[in-house]
Amino acid sequence: MTTNAPLPQSYDGLFPVGRSTPLGEYLRELWVRRDYIVRVPLAELRSQNAHTLLGGIWLILNPLLQVGVYFLVFGVIMPIDRGVDSYLVFLTLGVFAFHYSQRVISDGARSVVSSMGLIRTLRFPRATLPLSNSVGQAVAFGPVFAVMLVVVLAHGNVPTVRWLLLPVLFGLQTLFSLGASLLTARFNHLYRDLENLLPFVFRLLFYVSGVLYSVDHYVDEALLRALFALNPMYVYVTAWRWVMVGGPATAVEGLAAVAWALVTLVVGFAVFRAGENTYGRTG
Amino acid sequence: MTDLALRCTGAEVTYTIRSHRPLIRDLLRGHRPAAQKIHALRGVTFDVHVGESVGVVGPNGSGKTTMLQATTGLLPVSAGEIRVRSVPAFLGVQAVLRNQLTGRRNIEIGLLAQGLDRAAVDHLLPSVAEFTGLGDAIDMRMETYSSGMRARLHFAVATATSPEILLIDEALAVGDRTFHEKSAQRLDEHRANAGTVLLVSHNLAEIRRSCERVIWLQSGLIVADGPTDEVLAAYEAS
Repeated sequence: MTTNAPLPQSYDGLFPVGRSTPLGEYLRELWVRRDYIVRVPLAELRSQNAHTLLGGIWLILNPLLQVGVYFLVFGVIMPIDRGVDSYLVFLTLGVFAFHYSQRVISDGARSVVSSMGLIRTLRFPRATLPLSNSVGQAVAFGPVFAVMLVVVLAHGNVPTVRWLLLPVLFGLQTLFSLGASLLTARFNHLYRDLENLLPFVFRLLFYVSGVLYSVDHYVDEALLRALFALNPMYVYVTAWRWVMVGGPATAVEGLAAVAWALVTLVVGFAVFRAGENTYGRTG
Repeated sequence: MTDLALRCTGAEVTYTIRSHRPLIRDLLRGHRPAAQKIHALRGVTFDVHVGESVGVVGPNGSGKTTMLQATTGLLPVSAGEIRVRSVPAFLGVQAVLRNQLTGRRNIEIGLLAQGLDRAAVDHLLPSVAEFTGLGDAIDMRMETYSSGMRARLHFAVATATSPEILLIDEALAVGDRTFHEKSAQRLDEHRANAGTVLLVSHNLAEIRRSCERVIWLQSGLIVADGPTDEVLAAYEAS
């Protein structure tokens, strides 16, 4: 029988254990597990609110309540000028765009360490874990996006041609967040300290990404603005506002949105895969 | 190609045991916590052929579990080499999938993670659930399971996809008699389909029943390797 299959790696047809899988094969193994990657997070979403009275309604109630709190605090209690027209819309877009990445990255950090049993028992490409977390978060973003839409439309904004860019923007932000979660997943496996640190990193990022205030309003200098593009969270938050309500943005932010997505994904995947054989090790 | 399933050549595994992980203050002061090297395996050489069922015996701490873990690639060898025909599936007593989920969901996750698609999982799930013999408990969360129940579920999941090489670490020891019979049966089927088994157990009766060959480990070295009767007779006499 002649085939084009690669020759066995040695005369006895055996290969060393713990060898690293070639990239192509690794990606194919991931593809084979697409049902795992989609089905497991969906089931987890369903079971998340299993012990509540309202069940799945929480998925949409949660973002609604968040907006309600912000409206109460910034719209009713202390309605001061922050350099934006409709602050509620501004805030809603910023907060939810920010939280999406935060959820993907911080839950992704735990995705490997919380599945040690699975890892030690079964052989599968470990990137399945952060990947399926990312899919779950993307699905959970659905109701959140619905709330964003309602707030934007209720404020008298009408859909524009820019809205066609929404899938692209969401895709780019998802790729960036997935890439970052691959990084955090590996380092959190190495040192769990990262898990404790992440909330503070995100708290800091929250304040310097223009979620609560308009960077454009306070920072005029072009050079300084360009510096903000070095912060991916600022980039995506700004891009959401530009796409949905025509907030100010420049080509720098647009390019940065693409660059951050691609670079983070490639680097994150490479770093995660370099540790492939260390996950679950006892020694 | 030969009919080799696994070849272990001079495999050594060394653990570095520290009293604690190096903390930042240790690193700053430039001293590391007292490290102790444990030679769990000190050069182990053997071949296993396709369809063979090999028992592994030895006192506690002789390196049996280490040997199985090294064979899966989860533990790196510090010297020598372990080569396999396909990556073995490992069954340990402690193994859990996801404690918070029901047994049924764990089966589903386990099968999906092994690369089965949705249709295949839906098709296999009832028979795997049936095989566990857990009855209604299959829909209870795994944290409520006894170690024997876990072992059953785990054995059922790992053998459902018929891996070529199966490594079993005392997993059967905790099951009850009915399950023993069922699992012994499945192991027989497995071997009939040219499957290979490495079975670590202190239950010599079980090894007699399922293995034609036994490796006796002592302090990380092979003391004897041969037909079950001969090796076990020597082991029991020791």
